[in-house]
Amino acid sequence: MQGLPAIQDIVNLAAKIITSRTFLEIVVFPGFLNVFVGAALLTWLERKVIARVQLRIGPLYAGMWGILQPIADGIKLLFKEMIFPELADAKLLMVCALGLMMIAAAPVVAIPFGDGLVIANMDVGLIYVFAAISLFPTLILLIGWGSNSKYSFIGGLRSLFQQVAYEIPMWLSVLGIVMLTGTLNLTDIVRAQEKLWFVVPQILGFVVFFAAVLAELERIPFDLPEAESELVMGWMTELTGAAFMVGFLAMYTKLYVMSALITALFLGGWSGPSILPQPVWFLLKTFLVATVIVIIRGAFPRVRVDILLRTGWTRLLILAFANVFVTAMLIWLGFGWFWRV
Amino acid sequence: MPDIAFLALSGLVIASAVFALEARELIYGAVGLGLSLIGIAGLFILLGAEYLAMFQIAVYVGAVVVLILFTIMLVERERGRIVEEEEPVRLGRAGIYVAGLVALAVAAAVILLAPVSPEAPEFYRAPLQELGRSMASSYSVALVILGLLIGATVVGGLTLVKIEQKEKTSGTAQ
Amino acid sequence: MEPLSSYIILSSALLGVGIYGLVSKRNAIRLLISVELIVNAANINFVAFARYSNPPILTGWNVVFYSIAAAAMEATVGLALILVAFRLNGTIDVRKLNRLRG
Repeated sequence: MQGLPAIQDIVNLAAKIITSRTFLEIVVFPGFLNVFVGAALLTWLERKVIARVQLRIGPLYAGMWGILQPIADGIKLLFKEMIFPELADAKLLMVCALGLMMIAAAPVVAIPFGDGLVIANMDVGLIYVFAAISLFPTLILLIGWGSNSKYSFIGGLRSLFQQVAYEIPMWLSVLGIVMLTGTLNLTDIVRAQEKLWFVVPQILGFVVFFAAVLAELERIPFDLPEAESELVMGWMTELTGAAFMVGFLAMYTKLYVMSALITALFLGGWSGPSILPQPVWFLLKTFLVATVIVIIRGAFPRVRVDILLRTGWTRLLILAFANVFVTAMLIWLGFGWFWRV
Repeated sequence: MPDIAFLALSGLVIASAVFALEARELIYGAVGLGLSLIGIAGLFILLGAEYLAMFQIAVYVGAVVVLILFTIMLVERERGRIVEEEEPVRLGRAGIYVAGLVALAVAAAVILLAPVSPEAPEFYRAPLQELGRSMASSYSVALVILGLLIGATVVGGLTLVKIEQKEKTSGTAQ
Repeated sequence: MEPLSSYIILSSALLGVGIYGLVSKRNAIRLLISVELIVNAANINFVAFARYSNPPILTGWNVVFYSIAAAAMEATVGLALILVAFRLNGTIDVRKLNRLRG
């Protein structure tokens, strides 16, 4: 029994890890709790805002203003029975739903919620976020196929086509920002916006990125994979109970993370007058972007699939290239110093 | 004392690769390939090539694995389920011998003849700007050729669709 | 830090797995998966050597960059070929696909 560490040592090590800054960052803010509470809050926000757009009221009875509605939904879904079709691969579905939730929350690791308040200050933070985003179609395709149902499979295929088509304008529209700041580090990109937010000189890039994000989130007007009048629920049709809760929450986690990304890249991140602390500014802007996305859902009809794909592959691509050209002109005319960190 | 991260990642890579080849269902095979590629991306990070790791995840796992999955689904869907018959055990065993010999020969040759010192320099993370600069100046020809290759791929894919349509109408198909 | 030989052994092992797949499998898609494994084994080798030289050289990174892109394109065309071959012949068993025409 000579080499075994004593209980005292283990308890000490555990205490040191739990109170260390990184652990707090990962678990509370801007990590696990932040994403979880943010996604749940967004489900409530979406139902309220959509209701107001449609002249109704939305959730009302669960707590004041229905704010406990997401908790009620979660508890209900946890207690429901998970029914899978007989020939569907239940293990694959559950693993992929969990994987979807993990990948949806993954970009938060690189997004700075305040100066220095970032879990992993990666020098390749932007590419890491895009790599995580590019993993979505794989899991969605697997869920759609593993459900062994025509509706799910077609929904999964449509989702795959749509997300792959809009990944390229998304990558290209950020190229202007990278050209201006010369770095892929998200903290440096936010710091470079202290004088002027990137939404002004990169307005074309902002529009393209916003449209591409709407397509990646499968939200109206790019709602075809979830066309409620046609495909039941698209690729999520056969997910039930806890698996559905995980998939559903993954969609809103994606919304939260992408809104945070738009804020960090184009809207100046945590910059704002110092009456409020920096993370509060970041969260305010993030929820503003999310509200705009939700209002768009209530206000626009759905785009047909061939127009959708053609827009992604041709028109948005041309706009993104135009943005790169405009940025190159800006730099050539000597304005590049304005945003150098 | 070998690094835990290296052991775990290489275990993941080799185990997923073997699983990818030996799984009954092709879909699981493609998923195994995806896992193996993610493990390789982790190894790239250990070697200090972070940008390459992200590139690998975005291109290989995000695009190539999706393509393979998509093809498997299309191939199996047209004729019901394709049952993969067991290949003769003799061939499997021969495969193992050949593979083992080749791997051993390559490993021995490289280890014995490598002109570099086997110990690592201090902790190193390659600078990103250097990579970009070298790509734009020394390796710009390769970049242009890569672009032409992409164009050739797209043209080739479209041509194959045309060939298939022509074969079907000319009656040589079933 | 790991000695370089560990990475060489790993990459040779992956090469071995890929060659085993190429030799003994008869489903065309599994052959493609094996080819991807072999290409990745070579990539690991490149990056390991680029890292362990003194001073570390950047050419290994560049080669792997182009290798990943080229392998992605080769997989694309290969899969398109497999799909067309399947539609014309009804099978992707490479032992049965041994005619040039028809």
